[in-house]
Amino acid sequence: MGVVRTINVVAFSAMCSCYAGVGELDDAGEGSMGSDGSGGSDSDGDTGEPLGCGVDASERATLRRLTRFEYNNTIEDLLGDDTNPGNAFPSEELANGFGNDANAQSVSSLLAEQYNTVAETVALRATATPEKLGELSPCAADITESTAAAEVDACAASLVEEFVARAFRRPLVAGEAEPYVELAAGVRPQADFATSIATVVEAVLQSPDFLYRVELGFVDEQGRRRPTGYEMASRLSYALWGTMPDQELLDAAEAGELVDAQSVAAHAERMLADERSRTMVRFFFDNLLPISALSQLERDPERYPLYSSSMGALMREETQRFLAYEIFEGPGTWDHALTAPYTFVNQELAEFYGIPGVEGDAFVKVDLDPEQRLGLLTQAGVLSGTIHSNETNPVVRGAFIMRELLCQDIPLPQGDILEEVKPPDPGSGATARERYSKHSEDEACSGCHAFMDPVGLALENYDPIGQWRDTENGAVIDPSGGVPGVQVVSGPLELVQTIAEAEQTHVCFVEKWANYAYGRRTTKDDACTQDRLEEAFTASGHDVVQLLRELTQTDEFLYLAPEGE
Amino acid sequence: MGRRLSRRAVLRGAGGIAIALPWLEIMGTPRPARAGGTGQARRFVSVYTPGGTVIDDGDGNNRWRPTGTEDAFELSPILAPLEVIREKLLVVDGLSMASASGEQHQAGIVAWLTGTGQGGDGYAQGPSIDQVIASQLGEGYPKSSIQMAVRWGTGKSHGLLHPINSAHFEDNATFDPIPPRLDPQAMFDGFFGSLDPEQGDFQARLERKASVLDLVDRRFEALAPGMGMADRHKLEQHLEKIRELELSLENLPVPTAICSVPERVDTSGYDPQTGLESSDDGSTVDTSTDEAIPEVGRFMMDMLVMALACDVTPVASLQWSDTEAKHTFPWLGLMQHHHYYQHDGGFRPQECEQIMVWYSEQHAYLLSAMDAVDMGGHSLLDESVVFFGSELAQPPTHSKANMPFLLAGGGGGLRGGRFLRNDGLADVSHNNLLVAILNLFGDERQVFGDPNYCSGPLTNLT
Repeated sequence: MGVVRTINVVAFSAMCSCYAGVGELDDAGEGSMGSDGSGGSDSDGDTGEPLGCGVDASERATLRRLTRFEYNNTIEDLLGDDTNPGNAFPSEELANGFGNDANAQSVSSLLAEQYNTVAETVALRATATPEKLGELSPCAADITESTAAAEVDACAASLVEEFVARAFRRPLVAGEAEPYVELAAGVRPQADFATSIATVVEAVLQSPDFLYRVELGFVDEQGRRRPTGYEMASRLSYALWGTMPDQELLDAAEAGELVDAQSVAAHAERMLADERSRTMVRFFFDNLLPISALSQLERDPERYPLYSSSMGALMREETQRFLAYEIFEGPGTWDHALTAPYTFVNQELAEFYGIPGVEGDAFVKVDLDPEQRLGLLTQAGVLSGTIHSNETNPVVRGAFIMRELLCQDIPLPQGDILEEVKPPDPGSGATARERYSKHSEDEACSGCHAFMDPVGLALENYDPIGQWRDTENGAVIDPSGGVPGVQVVSGPLELVQTIAEAEQTHVCFVEKWANYAYGRRTTKDDACTQDRLEEAFTASGHDVVQLLRELTQTDEFLYLAPEGE
Repeated sequence: MGRRLSRRAVLRGAGGIAIALPWLEIMGTPRPARAGGTGQARRFVSVYTPGGTVIDDGDGNNRWRPTGTEDAFELSPILAPLEVIREKLLVVDGLSMASASGEQHQAGIVAWLTGTGQGGDGYAQGPSIDQVIASQLGEGYPKSSIQMAVRWGTGKSHGLLHPINSAHFEDNATFDPIPPRLDPQAMFDGFFGSLDPEQGDFQARLERKASVLDLVDRRFEALAPGMGMADRHKLEQHLEKIRELELSLENLPVPTAICSVPERVDTSGYDPQTGLESSDDGSTVDTSTDEAIPEVGRFMMDMLVMALACDVTPVASLQWSDTEAKHTFPWLGLMQHHHYYQHDGGFRPQECEQIMVWYSEQHAYLLSAMDAVDMGGHSLLDESVVFFGSELAQPPTHSKANMPFLLAGGGGGLRGGRFLRNDGLADVSHNNLLVAILNLFGDERQVFGDPNYCSGPLTNLT
């Protein structure tokens, strides 16, 4: 689960009488790693690159299949089809939190059927008109029923060769295009040219070279296995943009680049400066934060008249725009994102927050009320997204922050304890603190709840739609709480500062990004890689773009597993 | 099975090039010979409902368990709707899911058909019986098995495959969990598309699809050997599914006296993916989809029955939601979600009973529909085994003792019209039931699932 540095794990396990094994949504803490970053570094295998750990130091994801997000983006770049056809596939498993855990990917009969059906419809759209055919190859736009067979064959052959290479993200080996050319030729006696091309597209979109990121690699001069230039191009494009390589990457691969850390870094920097990296970052935060379903939240309209489905959508936009600004234009550090004194709103959101002077639909940067808001965690979207009723719930808010921001997953109660668990009676206390008081008073509960409730209780000044309140049901709210194992706090602003300053927060951020970029869940065996990334992250002052660049400089990214694994 | 020319053999013979071929009779699959209610069972259906039943209504009354003796019994209030099909119904009481280890609800649904506890990834540690049966029976059918689900992916699973909603696990080395089909319209097209006379150029399309899959197949086959073991396994697993697809193209259902395209139902108010927007505690309500549940459920049951009758598949399953069951029941006037009535709002025996009675009505519909299909002297139900279950017996305690299991049908000699108390056998493990079901299909093993919880097959099913 992550390096547990600031929390005494032994004390935690002993105290927590409800810890009994597999948590409901994630695996229980199996990742308590070495505390000083010395594990696994093998200087013999280190080629002098700053993040080298020795080739064998970490695990690798198995063969990575395109996720729906990646499939959609790739189809758009390959065929100009922006209908997101991949949404028809069965949803990925949550696994590492980003749906791209390669070790949890299997193909069900249903998925295979869907690949087939979607390939057929995408292929039809891509060949529906002479113009569309012309996008695949200029000669194809002019083919009609009366075109000479030889000309049709020649055009088809060149179109297919080029298309297959582009779809496979690499040059084809000799003769590799032939079966596809023959497939098209075989269709032509009974069907028209467009159909013959559609048939090839249908086959290509189901081929393993398209659906999977195949990495056969090569052995470099130092005797280490690494991805080929083309394979690295795909690694970079999927990690940083969530889509297939662009022409510049392909050209670099053709020129023999992308097989050393420096050229990989250079392209990573270029790509991070490109708009396309924002799509990927947006996807990351849509999954890390509880903001992708904000427009579906339901709140009692009488108690919360300010909330609506469109307001939920705007809240998500606020958070995403804020993060995009912070990371790519602003100070760029995770600390600052957590403690920024400003946000981005349009008129509707400004009215919601009570911020004067904003007009129109465009989002603008505004200063926050320094008494009430600070950074990402006090944004209405994040605060609302954790609550699924008309009352706040400090447990859920606290657990979210502990799990996603500090990588501490507290397992759910089981057995006898679970039978005791009932949601608190809404009438049992004026404030949430009173209603949930059993968690701290009852020994059976406090063992685990001490690790969640204090965080959520410090956020009680924000109601279920993220609005500020000083009282609840007429009683004054006591916003004291703390970050377990770190520090007690007197209110939300102090909470947010404490989280931003805690080492574990930044360790966790690195871990989450590594999970996403490498397509798996990091474990104890990744201690060296994790530590190197954390060192670099710390050295850069917790700069997010730097972190993304550093992710491309680890052994895991630059090298393949040695032969035989 | 009779002489049959493989389409692939003909196409491959010409170097893999697609050739337009007339639809020759010889290329159709002769229908497997039908047993007449004796011999091995020919179909398996599993039906899941959430939250067990009402074992104790607060006054000590068991609202599910029949009263009386094995052959002379009165159905309970919850089972009353099944009176119409009593002669083919076997009430199996007194079993416990001892092998269900792990989280309360998850462990139950994971163990229900597998008889294993939750593994490290939360999923089963063995295949589910429907998949084992499908491995044995499924060859020659367009699909070896189909899984359907109504209003699935609620609550904490957020519409994703998750131990909280997975009942079926592949019969392969990794027992991968199987996502059910959710979209009734896609199901209709997928199962009955070939029977639709509207699809004009269907034949040519079929030829092209076969050529496409053939090429893809060969590429998977060529690529796999050059990879590391784990990667190769992934590709081979995918290739297996491609091959299933290829076979399904060769074995299309043909209209017959008993097999016809069911009527397509308009399900436009129903969002099969609504689970994606669900909230952990069920407070996100989708009224339009919930209101459509009875109609969609009925449509799916009709498709299930016709899929069996048309020999689309011999193994089918239907999940009524999942262990979260965080959807409402507007047609019953219940505006909270099922889990609320189970325990989130305190156990409400009356509302739970209302829901369970409604499920019994749906089961009665399914069984009657199967019984109405004449396979030639006996009904579809007579040659089938239908297994109804849940992930636990009692919502407030999550107890998995005295599970409310039902069997129906006559496949393999299953003898209905009885109430099996399993009295005095104190907590017999349900693994014994699972292996007894396998035996009905001619599988002779004596142990299934976790061997620590299986002492051999139940002997009183036939």
